[in-house]
Amino acid sequence: MDADALASVTPEQPVGVAIIDDHPVVIDGVRAWLATEPRLTVLATGDDPDEVLRVAPAADVVLLDLRLHGRVVLDKLAELSAAGRRVVVYSEHSDPQTMLAALDAGAVAFLAKHEGREHCVATVLDAAADRPYVAPALAGAMVGDSRPGRPMLSDKEREALLLWFQSMSKASVARRMRISEHTVKQYVDRARIKYSRVGRPAATKAALLARAIEDGLIRPEEIGIYRSQAAADWPTP
Amino acid sequence: MWAEPDAADRTHRVPGPRTPELVLANRAGRAAAAVARISDRGARIVVVTIALVWHLAIGLPAVLAARAEPAVPQLVIGCWLLVAVLGVLAGVRLLRDAPLPAPPLVALLLVVDVVVFAALGRAQVFGPANWVWGGLAWFFVVVLWRQPVRWLLALLVAHAGVGLAAVVLYDATEAADLARATMALYGTSSLPAAVFAGATTLAALSRDRTATAAATNAMLAERAAAEQARRERTERLALVSAAAEEVLTELAQGRADPTDPQVQRRCARAAARLRRLIAESDDVPHPLLHELRAAADLAERNGLPIELVTIGTPPPLPVRVRRSLADPLAAGLADARDWARLTVVSSPDEVVVGLVTPDAAGPEAAPPPTEDGAGEVEFHYERDGKIRWTQTRWRR
Repeated sequence: MDADALASVTPEQPVGVAIIDDHPVVIDGVRAWLATEPRLTVLATGDDPDEVLRVAPAADVVLLDLRLHGRVVLDKLAELSAAGRRVVVYSEHSDPQTMLAALDAGAVAFLAKHEGREHCVATVLDAAADRPYVAPALAGAMVGDSRPGRPMLSDKEREALLLWFQSMSKASVARRMRISEHTVKQYVDRARIKYSRVGRPAATKAALLARAIEDGLIRPEEIGIYRSQAAADWPTP
Repeated sequence: MWAEPDAADRTHRVPGPRTPELVLANRAGRAAAAVARISDRGARIVVVTIALVWHLAIGLPAVLAARAEPAVPQLVIGCWLLVAVLGVLAGVRLLRDAPLPAPPLVALLLVVDVVVFAALGRAQVFGPANWVWGGLAWFFVVVLWRQPVRWLLALLVAHAGVGLAAVVLYDATEAADLARATMALYGTSSLPAAVFAGATTLAALSRDRTATAAATNAMLAERAAAEQARRERTERLALVSAAAEEVLTELAQGRADPTDPQVQRRCARAAARLRRLIAESDDVPHPLLHELRAAADLAERNGLPIELVTIGTPPPLPVRVRRSLADPLAAGLADARDWARLTVVSSPDEVVVGLVTPDAAGPEAAPPPTEDGAGEVEFHYERDGKIRWTQTRWRR
């Protein structure tokens, strides 16, 4: 499936969200976080991805707990991502390996559960627009990535990721790097976009990349650079 | 736009050590090499002694007694002297464990071999003045010590070739002469070859055995440390669980009010401690992480919720680098109020430790103590009205 197959989100319509978690208390908590944002509406919740998406096939963003009934559902994540579902993974497993594996499988974003309150709404909104959102825990995983197939990050991108991971404040990172907050976000997002070329192809990755080009975050000719760093090759969107 | 009025921004280099500490991974290998060297020493003494004693006690009287017999006696005696000097120098270096330049020494010995056979003349090929038949092989052993056995065998073959060539060229090809030549070569080469091969095998065996013993010890030490770490973790888990249970029980029984900031703080603290325990994935904590965890535990006892996130495994670090990395953060933790976020990002070439706390009124972070030596650890501290940010960074 290619990027065009993804349902586009219009600004007038609220973003439909599906929440998949096996703990009702977490679902209620996430629902409460999302309720603070009028542009978001929760369409369905439950502990079975297939069941939830049958009820809400139009969901723009799926919030997925990576561990369902004691099992890490990376395969389900890959399946959903390949089918063009924008999956935001959130998990109490915030070790770097798990986070990077989730990105490889096609997750649009990763939230450590304790980051939920602060970053959940922003992550879902960006995910719906196929824009990257890198919460601090994921920034840490990216900056500490030592796998052979990892993308090549520039020094500035690495530094921005590292400082964002440390301080959790883009204003402080901007002050420290003597650049604007907007530029900090650009560095972090560029690093994230480079990860869309790693791991198996997924429609969600293609969409991220397409939107990044559209937004001017990266230039189309830069894709070749990412391609050469990628473990697997796949067609340009 | 970013500079707050009270912003303080300091970056300077903290000196680190010059000599790296012993690395655990290398210990086994080094111990094995040391034992092999020591056990090898006896064999070296024996070989050097045999070569020199043979040369002096057997070679010299024979050469002197028959000094008038060879065609060019000066060359025969001169070569004897040359090999004596060479033997002493090589022997001293071998016993002192200094490397020997094998190829030039081998070449020199072969030249001596050829020159002596040529200078002896037909009459003395099998005469007492021919000291190279028997004595030279022991010097081969000395100069080729610790080289592969095949080198020695090749050199002995070359030696035999020179001897047989001389026999043929002098036309001493009668059955008795050939038998004498073969006996001489066999009799004088077999013992050095056997000693050499035996010593090589013994050295290899002792090296293997020591390496195995060292590896076993390292594994036992690792296991003991892991067991200790596990015990500590279990104890801490019990402690943390008790604290969490207490506040949860109070909440469940309605004795604690969830809107009470004090209760919220207790919950946050218990959650932070549980998260930290869960995040500890290393069997045996790296000393740096161990120190930082200890500092975090200490600060936590003062009621501070602390988040400690580690990414990657730090490489082995010299003690002074470790101190320069950890101490400023530990000091910052002790002064922290409300909350603290401690992060460690490690790769084989870089370790960055960061501490972020809210910027409240309080003392400035003290820069780490200055030690002598090249700066290896960078220290950065700033406060921007929102956060206080302390960072230490080591780069290889």
